[in-house]
Amino acid sequence: MARIAIVGDSTSVAGFRPLGFAVFPVERAEDARELWSELAGGEYGVVFVTEQVYSAVEDLVGEVLDRPVPALTIIPGAGSSGGVGGAKINRAIERALGTSMLIREEDE
Amino acid sequence: MTKMRVNPNRMELLKLKRRGDVAKRGHKLLKDKFDELLKEFIARISANRKLRAEVEGRLIGAYGLLAVARAEAGKANLTQALLSGAPAEMLEASERRVMSVRVPEFVLGTLSEPGGYSLATMPAVLDGALDALAEVVPMMIELAEREKAIELLAAEIERTRRRVNALEYVLMPSIAETIKDIQMKLDEAERGNLTRLMKVKDIIAAQEAAGER
Repeated sequence: MARIAIVGDSTSVAGFRPLGFAVFPVERAEDARELWSELAGGEYGVVFVTEQVYSAVEDLVGEVLDRPVPALTIIPGAGSSGGVGGAKINRAIERALGTSMLIREEDE
Repeated sequence: MTKMRVNPNRMELLKLKRRGDVAKRGHKLLKDKFDELLKEFIARISANRKLRAEVEGRLIGAYGLLAVARAEAGKANLTQALLSGAPAEMLEASERRVMSVRVPEFVLGTLSEPGGYSLATMPAVLDGALDALAEVVPMMIELAEREKAIELLAAEIERTRRRVNALEYVLMPSIAETIKDIQMKLDEAERGNLTRLMKVKDIIAAQEAAGER
């Protein structure tokens, strides 16, 4: 069995604690960098990060990118607009297909 | 295309021809794999996009409810109320293979029941907010699983495409060119031999004719 971790500002993540998530509130997004090795250690199956935290740890996530777990997933934080997670997937699509045009066209 | 540096003899020619056959077979296999990966990939993308939009929408809605609760109860009270609950091992993580790519599979156990805060001091909207969060969690897990699979597939597709291209545009042309080159050199040697033989035959014939006279 694995745990689910969530990292973000306390306003966004506090609500997940009563549900049984491992909650890592960080004051500043940069503080998440210190938590990273623990998060990537394999104890957690899924790691949710808010958009602000993701942009702070973006350069560290490369090591988990090619491993099945943990699955790093971006969620919008309270007060952010969303869209960063979609952009990450779009980059993966672009990496695979060489273009993301194809998919955008399908959406319309 | 660059030629390989090999000795132009029959032995090398045979070896190269065999290598060329293997490369061609490998190229076909990899190309099939690439096509199949792409099919898997495309099928996942559009479904994922809808899921992500819904998760983001619902999360933002739940944050809104939490903000209302915070406003009603006060920040300190709400923080205290939400301190209850400990991290639980509620996720079953396993692996599955999709076209030899290991993708994770998550099965969510039961979520902890939110509670442990005083119903007297906490506004009712907090219950609603936690319910909304609990509702979106299974979708978040599914999203995590799918997005991870998409990323892993993307990496594999990129790798496979590089291999296919390397075979198609570098190795196979280079082998073909080297084979052609060796063949020409062998043919040239063959012709050289033939003319030499003809010449020798002419000389011998001339000598014999001179001896008969």
